[in-house]
Amino acid sequence: MVDLFTYLQFVLAPQMVTGLVIGVAVILMALGLTIIFGLLDVINLAHGAFYALGGFVLITLLGLGLDFWVAMVLVPLLVLPAGLVTERLLIQRVFHSGDRHTLTLLLTFGLSLVMEDLFKIIYGPDPHRPQPPISGAVELLGMYLPTYRVFLIFFGALLIAALSLFLFRSDFGARIRAAAYDRHMAASLGIQVKSVYSWTFALGLAVAALSGVLLSPIYGVYPDMGHGFIFLAFAVVIVGGLGSIKGAVVAGLLLTQVFVLASLVMSPVWADVLVFATMVLVLLFRPQGLFGSLAHG
Amino acid sequence: MVERELTAATPPVSRRGLSSLNKVALTAFLGALLFAVWAVVFEQPFYLGLATEALILGGLAMSVDLLLGYCGLLSLGHALFFGLGAYMGGLLLLHYTGSFWLTCLLVVPASAAIGLVGGLIALRSSGVYFALITFAMAQVVEKVVFVTNEIGLESPRGAVDVGGSDGFQGVPGVEVDLLLFSLDLRDPLSFFLLTLTLVSVTYLGLYWLMSTPFGRTLRALRTNERRLPHLGYAPRRFKLAAFVLSAVIAGFFGALYPMLRGGAFPELLTFGMSGDAVISVIIGGTGTLIGPLIGTALLVFMRSVVGSELGDLHVIIVGLVFIAAVIFFPKGIVGYARAYLDRPKPDRGRTDNDG
Repeated sequence: MVDLFTYLQFVLAPQMVTGLVIGVAVILMALGLTIIFGLLDVINLAHGAFYALGGFVLITLLGLGLDFWVAMVLVPLLVLPAGLVTERLLIQRVFHSGDRHTLTLLLTFGLSLVMEDLFKIIYGPDPHRPQPPISGAVELLGMYLPTYRVFLIFFGALLIAALSLFLFRSDFGARIRAAAYDRHMAASLGIQVKSVYSWTFALGLAVAALSGVLLSPIYGVYPDMGHGFIFLAFAVVIVGGLGSIKGAVVAGLLLTQVFVLASLVMSPVWADVLVFATMVLVLLFRPQGLFGSLAHG
Repeated sequence: MVERELTAATPPVSRRGLSSLNKVALTAFLGALLFAVWAVVFEQPFYLGLATEALILGGLAMSVDLLLGYCGLLSLGHALFFGLGAYMGGLLLLHYTGSFWLTCLLVVPASAAIGLVGGLIALRSSGVYFALITFAMAQVVEKVVFVTNEIGLESPRGAVDVGGSDGFQGVPGVEVDLLLFSLDLRDPLSFFLLTLTLVSVTYLGLYWLMSTPFGRTLRALRTNERRLPHLGYAPRRFKLAAFVLSAVIAGFFGALYPMLRGGAFPELLTFGMSGDAVISVIIGGTGTLIGPLIGTALLVFMRSVVGSELGDLHVIIVGLVFIAAVIFFPKGIVGYARAYLDRPKPDRGRTDNDG
């Protein structure tokens, strides 16, 4: 009995907390992906590269002597224009073609090649590890958890809530959903659909960059740092339903917990296989994912 | 509004003489032979080896094109079949047999089986889901291969070791028995000519297949999948058949890789490999079969020759060329060559009509 309790307290619970940290990060990534897909029908393969961009802009700003918190606010603001330019220069060019899905997928893939190589040339291939802005640990039910991780879970949850509020309660969010539901109708009601597209795309990328910032003290900053997460993020988006906010959150929590708990009893590689199997199973029975689209909530 | 299509979806027009596609293919074939002459005269075994690698990777690109250009299915994980083919071929040669033909005979059905499983999973979905599933499938298998060492098989030459993150080395040189004579693949020229023959046969075979009712159904599938069931065809069966065929081609050319480089590594299964194949297809010309080969040759040239000059910078160049190709030249090199060859020639057209 004591053994079981010890196991719960010192093995299972900390692992689940780790899972929450990864979960929050993956959900943030997946939210960006799913919003961009829900509105623009674009699978953004460069999402991982923008996640890395967040990390690299962060270490640049820290190198300039800025405080972590100031940098954390600045990074998404700096990535926004990059997102706007990307949308205008790449996505809009092929947006009206019949092969939009494939073409945008290919374009963002090309973009990720270029970006990751730029990072490698400018910053070198080795990981940088910024200091976490909060040090120390907190005691929770007898477990000692790094304070930064606890902060991350709460802050991430807050961000996710803020994003949903923005999408479902704000005026601009209503425009985004309207454009996702029927862009011609939205346009005829006076919504500037084109600028809604650009800003939403940029917003998704800014969120990816912000998750890059938040996770860099834990996982480090290196050119292909997005690769590890992008697999989980895509799995989350597929399981939750492409374009669904609720789906991203539910599937994000579910899959990351499956992943970390499976990692306890098997090698993380087989945990990956399990995540993939879950994804295939969901697709077998619900090809559209667990939840609906952006336009339908 | 300009409609951009990835492929020049027009079927090869049957007319007197060679179709424009085969003209391009013949030119490329002659170019490859000229290159071989150059490499032999100036004693450049390194470039012959590189060209052989380009042809092998070209086989992978062709298999990607078969799905993308003819069925409209973008696979982001074809390195899976290529890499597993390489592992199977390499391990067979290393542990069980020295025979080229027996290796091929075993790799082909095994690749078909892997393709069948992969196809049954991936074809549950379509469009972007298909792309993501193939991507995820390859990622997962790559990770598994990355940590796999001994697989519990005992061979006459000891336990079969896949080699985990390092892969394995030491595949012996192969002799190909061709009844009248035999080719020693340790000789770069022999290997190059054999691969060129295999690639040409694959090209001609696929070109022929695309003119059969099967190929026309695939094309119809690409053009309008929803209409096909109403005409009495089951789209999924055709897609599955194409997927398995594509996996077999990828696996077969994968099996040639360890004969050339002496081993197989987990890198052969990575997204980089699948991505390169897709890049080659787009740059060369989707739905042309010969385009992917030309695209691969260009890409291999960029990677090794330009790459050794410019270092990491060449990936940026490859990426930018790729982006430019998608936006500005969606038909690819061969697509434009074809448009040029097929341009209307007023006087000859008239005589054709009169006759």
